[in-house]
Amino acid sequence: MRLGLGPISLAGATRSQLVALAEAAVAASFDAVWIAEARSDGVGGGVAAAAFLAQQVPIRVGAALDFGAYHPLYAAEDIAVADIASRGRIEVLLRGGSAEQRRLLLEALGGAHLRFDGESLRVPARLEANQPSPERLALNPRPLQPAVPVWVEDADESEARSLGFGIARSRRPNATAPPSVGRWPGMLLCPGDVAAEDLLHAAGHAAAYFLIGARTAEHVATAGRRLVGPLRMPGFPEWINKQ
Amino acid sequence: MTLRLGLGIFSIQAVPQRPDHHVKLYADLLDDAELAESLGFDSIWLSEHHFWFDGYCPADLAAAGAILGRTSTLRVGTAVMLLPMHSVEKVAADATTVNRLGDGRLVLGVALGYRDAEFDGFGVRRKDRGKLMDSMLPRLADASRASDPPYVVYVGVATAVAAQRAGRLGLPLFADSTMNVAELEEMLATYNEAAAAAGVKPPAAHSLQRDVFVTEDRERDWRLLFPELRYMRRQYGGWSNPQEAGESTQAYLERLEGDIAAKLKNLIIGDEAHVAAELRRFAALGFDLIVCRSQFGNLPRPLLRRAVEGLGRVNAAVAR
Repeated sequence: MRLGLGPISLAGATRSQLVALAEAAVAASFDAVWIAEARSDGVGGGVAAAAFLAQQVPIRVGAALDFGAYHPLYAAEDIAVADIASRGRIEVLLRGGSAEQRRLLLEALGGAHLRFDGESLRVPARLEANQPSPERLALNPRPLQPAVPVWVEDADESEARSLGFGIARSRRPNATAPPSVGRWPGMLLCPGDVAAEDLLHAAGHAAAYFLIGARTAEHVATAGRRLVGPLRMPGFPEWINKQ
Repeated sequence: MTLRLGLGIFSIQAVPQRPDHHVKLYADLLDDAELAESLGFDSIWLSEHHFWFDGYCPADLAAAGAILGRTSTLRVGTAVMLLPMHSVEKVAADATTVNRLGDGRLVLGVALGYRDAEFDGFGVRRKDRGKLMDSMLPRLADASRASDPPYVVYVGVATAVAAQRAGRLGLPLFADSTMNVAELEEMLATYNEAAAAAGVKPPAAHSLQRDVFVTEDRERDWRLLFPELRYMRRQYGGWSNPQEAGESTQAYLERLEGDIAAKLKNLIIGDEAHVAAELRRFAALGFDLIVCRSQFGNLPRPLLRRAVEGLGRVNAAVAR
């Protein structure tokens, strides 16, 4: 089981607030800290913010992106640079966007020499006005990780299996976590006060990735104390947290 | 006018003569940013280009985010973001966040871009870049002022048309390194005319990009530096003037060689006193920020370090 803090909305977040939460996540033994864009409020920069945060804390850093606003090649370039600068600690959650955007992003991140002919995206565009126009293009530099972990919120399972990304969902009472896809466990976005037994029930015995929406450093510490032990090892003895 | 120096221009390239892995190059970049901050530079500057074999930095805001996370007082600039290839709404939303996380230390330099392959990658016609810039720049300027905290937008210029565009909006210039003093004076006059015609108050000062290399042993360092400069200038020259069908590699390299000599004519190289004197000339023209390019591709680390430390002493001298 993996445990992440967030996603913390970048809307109105200051440097000191964000860093304090991220440091609390490290202190509480979370595996990752996540931030989220809010482009409907004019707040973007998710990948750059992840690159920023990766310089502040040693754990993994995730960015929830409003993917509809992105050209997939720019997204791939942002992710690659952030991943390299963070020495391979970037994770991504895509919200919105089209299947075609996702396919191009994954192909670019995978290192393909691209010649992409989709319904609305053509890369290279091979426009008559641009000469010389390349026959193919590639992402360079490439991410440091062999495969950057990518989840898609409310993804179709067949698309996820076809392209190789993980599936994320918001937690609903008594609902199970999404299935794992390849190496990526199902991701469940949870409120800050969620109980460990509810998460274990949602996961069954399968691996899962829980993002915990704690909003203050104190809540992060409390959530970590409540969740980390039971999620990391079956049969966690209650007395350990009573000392 | 107090003269401030920025350190640049970091393009983070695995150049063929020194093709370090990018994980080392970005680690070096962050170390260089810390060094620049410790030496009192005003800012550090990143460049953007796409789809190049040596991995030229394609995502300057992501790199800026990392630098802002590593430093605490140093400003971080883009020199320059190729605005017409982007969505201006996305750039504005990204810049607002990066600037806020950096406590107001982001500086956004923007310009047209010129390499066809890059435009084609993003499905934009290169010939539309001027019209796109006309449309995007006012929106970006509005967004930069509305941002909390606000950030500065500089307009990269090497032509009169670009100076007029910036002048109409009263946005400060980021003048290209290839322009000499006479050309800069002419461009500033063009800018001021456009600002006056538009009824816009021009900014108090502009910024300028120069290739600058501080050395106490010019002969020794020139031997090391020239191959790096030649590579960089061939690359930029080649992007403007691609190899023609049927043109031999040898003929092409010879054609680019003339461009190299022309582009290097403005290089400022010498000891600290010489460099300080040369830079002060530009303050008199109306430039209060000079972005000094001392990193050319991926210089040998000891060579770059000596130059940056020397430029740091120049920075202290010209600020007095």
